[in-house]
Amino acid sequence: MSATTTERGRSAGRGGVRGTATSSSPARGGGKPQRDRSDVKAGYAFLSPWLLGFVLLTAGPMLMSLYLAFTDYNLFRAPTFVGIDNFTALFADPRFLKSAQVTAVYVLVGVPVKLAAALAVAVLLNAKHRGQGAYRSMFYAPSLIGASVSVAIVWRAMFIDDGIADQVQQFFGLPAGGWVGDPSMTMPMMILLAVWQFGAPMVIFLAGLKQIPAELHEAAAVDGAGPIRRFVSVTLPMLSPVLFFNLLLETIGAFQVFSSAFIISGGTGGPADSTLFYTFYLYLKGFTEFRMGYASAMAWVLVLVVGIITAVLFRTSRAWVHYTGDVR
Amino acid sequence: MQPATSSTQSKEAHVVRTRTTRKTAAVQVTALAAASALALSACGGGTTASAEAAPVATDRDIELSLVWWGDDDRAARYEEAVALFEEQHPNIDVQTQFQAWDDYWTARSTEAAGQTLPDVFQMDLAYIHQYASNNQLLDLSNQLGVNLDTDDFDETVLASGSVDDGQYGIPTSTNTLGMIHHDDLLDELGIEPPEEGLTWDEYDAWIREVSAAGADHDPQIYGGTDYTGTLWLFIQWLVQQGKTAFADDGSPAFEKADLVAWAERTQPLRDDGVFFPVERAKQVEPLTGMQVGQAATEMTWDNMMAGYSAGAGSENLDLLPVPTGADGSAQFWKPSMLLSSSATTQEPDAAAALIDFLVNDPEVGKIFGTSKGVPAVAAQRDAMEVEEGSIDDKIVGYEEHVAERVTEDTPLPVEGYGVVEAEFKRLGEELSYGNITPEEFADQWFQSAESNLGGS
Repeated sequence: MSATTTERGRSAGRGGVRGTATSSSPARGGGKPQRDRSDVKAGYAFLSPWLLGFVLLTAGPMLMSLYLAFTDYNLFRAPTFVGIDNFTALFADPRFLKSAQVTAVYVLVGVPVKLAAALAVAVLLNAKHRGQGAYRSMFYAPSLIGASVSVAIVWRAMFIDDGIADQVQQFFGLPAGGWVGDPSMTMPMMILLAVWQFGAPMVIFLAGLKQIPAELHEAAAVDGAGPIRRFVSVTLPMLSPVLFFNLLLETIGAFQVFSSAFIISGGTGGPADSTLFYTFYLYLKGFTEFRMGYASAMAWVLVLVVGIITAVLFRTSRAWVHYTGDVR
Repeated sequence: MQPATSSTQSKEAHVVRTRTTRKTAAVQVTALAAASALALSACGGGTTASAEAAPVATDRDIELSLVWWGDDDRAARYEEAVALFEEQHPNIDVQTQFQAWDDYWTARSTEAAGQTLPDVFQMDLAYIHQYASNNQLLDLSNQLGVNLDTDDFDETVLASGSVDDGQYGIPTSTNTLGMIHHDDLLDELGIEPPEEGLTWDEYDAWIREVSAAGADHDPQIYGGTDYTGTLWLFIQWLVQQGKTAFADDGSPAFEKADLVAWAERTQPLRDDGVFFPVERAKQVEPLTGMQVGQAATEMTWDNMMAGYSAGAGSENLDLLPVPTGADGSAQFWKPSMLLSSSATTQEPDAAAALIDFLVNDPEVGKIFGTSKGVPAVAAQRDAMEVEEGSIDDKIVGYEEHVAERVTEDTPLPVEGYGVVEAEFKRLGEELSYGNITPEEFADQWFQSAESNLGGS
């Protein structure tokens, strides 16, 4: 069965490649069987709802925003071309640099902590226990509601003056006062919120753990490897593709954090700009100051930065991601 | 072995695919913005309704849209007023809609770009210039005396709705700045409310006294909230010195030194922790220090006292004029809101008639009370049923009391005011957190003014 799956996956991949090649040079297709070309046409016909949506709602607006990034545009008056002024203004804007810094801290600290938490929970849930299914559902639950506005509101309530967090702190004799109004405590609070929503990477880790053949663990145990050694030398390498996948997803996701910051700061990015995440500042520039050109420039800088980071991650992945059966 | 292989491979494919979709998502904010922009830029160039004003038609069905910002309470009052209007004009059907303040302006700017602004909608002083000078609003001048009667308006109040000789908005109600004091708190501390006519420095000293007395109280009581970050109060302070806030071209008419002086004069109070702390203020938002029973005074628009009273759960609040400057006690009226009509409306006559009804009809005055500010027109003020000694009564009484101090015109509504006002508030918070100095406060605000206000 497994062999069939593999074969199907591969042929699907080839089919995709061939489809693209044919479509890019339809004029040369004279030698190909007629049925093949009508297949391609049918393929595009079936794709058309998505293609239309992509071109009209994604690609078109993206091109438009690329143009707007080089203009001064306030929604009311027609855009005027200003060259790279928006980009030079960006790097002279202290709040832009602040937002980049806030976002960088969030990504660099939040993502590893979140992945570690997700992996730890996944390992615990992978062990065989009675009622494991119930535990899995319970641990995944926060992520089902996690991205919603209501959770951000609850979070704010928990960390506010006299909230649950504050009462616990007071119980242990720690200084009181709530986290929401203190610029040095809002980032830990935001990271904690992200970490708590570990469900999605956790489920993927769990699936990955399930795929690790038990024989490997058994063999390592027979050779005298303890649980930690088995985790480091068997689990982690076998899991590295999944780890890489989660790392990419979470990194890109963390760059785009918006709604929780919007709710917790009451739409200001405060206190004292401590939750001024990149996309949030972009929103403020575009939709409260109506500087669409500037906001578009910010968006393209973000695309570039995320693109570069993704490329770097892919490059480094060659050194640490192991695919089974890989002969490279 | 095989199962692992197949799954990692399909996952690998998945990784690549997901990466592309997520990258797409990275620009979806822009995509969204641009999507509207794309549609919008296609239809620039407004149409001007320059037709002569004629009495509202009665022989055909007319549909009007009416949009405002506000809460459920306001919505209920509007619905009641609209029902009355429809009774008087059976051929007119008014479609209503409302949003909260922030969403309201996002929605309106999108409509403005698409030339689909409502027939009648609430307008604010902070935005009227921007909308009017971009040809988004109907000039109501030729409707005056036809469908729209403004004879009962105070000249300076009506003037706040005019931009470059056109009447683009009609004020519904007025307010002026005042100092609210919470007498329950002061009674507890055994301190008398501040006296009318005290100077800014005397007020600061009074705050110190109260904060010292309230230090051991649980919860701690402060004399007042840091008012440095409120642009309107800074303007009020300037006006008392005989200066104006903005030049005709929309640029600041004051010097950087004025702003530094304003921020510096309250610096000792911040340094000594005398004001209601900003950490706490941020946490109780959207309530204020007074509403949570920790600040004995706060300066704001007089009609805000109704909300303050509800928040604080006490009727024992009262109003005083703002402190007096070295050169006088001049104050100004500000329209708490205006009503405007879209430049692209198909029914300018009916729209003007609806505005006329909302600002002049005594019944409407009765329905709204002071919830939108004190009605600008006497007929509406007189129709209000205010209970003796109630908060509404105090607000109306306050406006009558300070009327003689109101000697200044409403400061010009300049384009970009909303943005620089928000920046003023943000920098005021930075000041309260001790992150910037008064000089930096002034520098950074002028930077924002340069890129957002006119005349640059």
